[in-house]
Amino acid sequence: MGNNVSPRFTGAVMVSVVLAFILLLLPLSESWMLWRPEWIVLTFIYWSIKLPKKISIVMAWVAGLFVDVFYGSILGQHALGLVVVVFMSIRLLPRLSVNILWHQLVLIFLVLGTYLLINLWIMAATGSNPATWHYWLPLLSSLLIWPIYSWVLSFFHVERSRFDVF
Amino acid sequence: MSSIIQNNEYSSLSFKFMLLAAISAAIMVLDYRETILHPVRTTLTVISYPFKYAINLPFSAKGYLTDYFSDHKTMAEENRQLRTTLDIYAARNQKYHAIADENLRLREQLNAIPKTDEKHLLAEILSVSANTFSRKVTINRGSNDHMYTGQVVIAGKNIYGQIDSIAPDSAEIMQLTDKDHAIHVVNTSVLNRKPELAIDEVIGRGALAVGSGKTNLLELRNIEANVDIRKGDIYVSSGLGKLYPAGYPVAIVSSIKYNSGDSFMKVMAHTLTDFTQAREVLAIWHNKRAVKSKKEELTSQLKKNKATEKSILKKTN
Repeated sequence: MGNNVSPRFTGAVMVSVVLAFILLLLPLSESWMLWRPEWIVLTFIYWSIKLPKKISIVMAWVAGLFVDVFYGSILGQHALGLVVVVFMSIRLLPRLSVNILWHQLVLIFLVLGTYLLINLWIMAATGSNPATWHYWLPLLSSLLIWPIYSWVLSFFHVERSRFDVF
Repeated sequence: MSSIIQNNEYSSLSFKFMLLAAISAAIMVLDYRETILHPVRTTLTVISYPFKYAINLPFSAKGYLTDYFSDHKTMAEENRQLRTTLDIYAARNQKYHAIADENLRLREQLNAIPKTDEKHLLAEILSVSANTFSRKVTINRGSNDHMYTGQVVIAGKNIYGQIDSIAPDSAEIMQLTDKDHAIHVVNTSVLNRKPELAIDEVIGRGALAVGSGKTNLLELRNIEANVDIRKGDIYVSSGLGKLYPAGYPVAIVSSIKYNSGDSFMKVMAHTLTDFTQAREVLAIWHNKRAVKSKKEELTSQLKKNKATEKSILKKTN
């Protein structure tokens, strides 16, 4: 895994992150907003699984700063979250068979759960606690959307020598 | 060999992770306590502004397109109605000018400091915050138009919110319904029921309208159990706290609950501004801040006062 995958074109990872930002900023009605999956986190988990040697943790950090600006949260909150996401995904990778869907879902559950928990702690500490269980809905919707989203993201890379695996 | 390389990669990853995590923690503390990082936030906002604008363009274009393709007859009808309202307002404005002149004359006679004029600026709502649990919107005006943080924004004749953070060409407005927002309000419907009440008494029985985090819903806190309040009462801004101008309508009471034994009632109110409908808002300059010429006037007034004081002192000596 990982060794036989490369981006389809230069900057493919970047383009997929921009796509995630577009999905994040799409104006939705309030009831739909509650169910919006964590697109940015899913994107970085995907690339951490597929390209663990190439994914840049610094890029995740910078993307996190932009998320902070779009959310109006304190600078560094989502940056820290995304850095943790990339680090955790890469370190959990050898412990799971990432080609199996339910292993992927377990990884997402752990990593995204940690991300949301860190954000919740920081928000509570800075006095803007959402104080509703609706906060955890994106975790569920992210798990549900993952099979489709990972299929979409698979267009951004090629598996170079897939026949060597067999 | 490969395991050594892998170990090296992992240690480099761990190092980067720890470094970035430490930087994140540091800037979080700085951003929470100090204002030193505001330029960074402004820069990031400016960089991402075209991106945000482009994404929201199709959605805002929808409104313009429906305007463009709407029926000629309805347009003419609307136009006629607007003309009528304009005439009514022009007539009212005439009366207002007379009153303003009179007010000025009276103030001169009383030697009071002249009241500053209100200045308005229309801004368009560009996008809603990506954060589901905050009630913030971005508008297309910013510090280039002399706006400032804490500035009051109204929609129609009702209060909309205040400016939370600002960039050169955009600003973020915190709506009244944001969880972090509070405004002091008073009940004016009581005056209709009991006209004999003194105005001070009404202001003394105000409430704090705190955002609920839900659309168009406010919670009115600190209303004691014996206060006269009914469903449908209208609360207006009191002007306490010096931020919001007094007398602007804020909310209409929608539900009143009281558990016997509590000292306060649990009152919910709907905002008079419909936050789902407003597409344009009006920023107002109602105090002496931010209007530069007015500031200079003030200082010159102070200097004059000091000069007269000195001359009086000299004379007495």
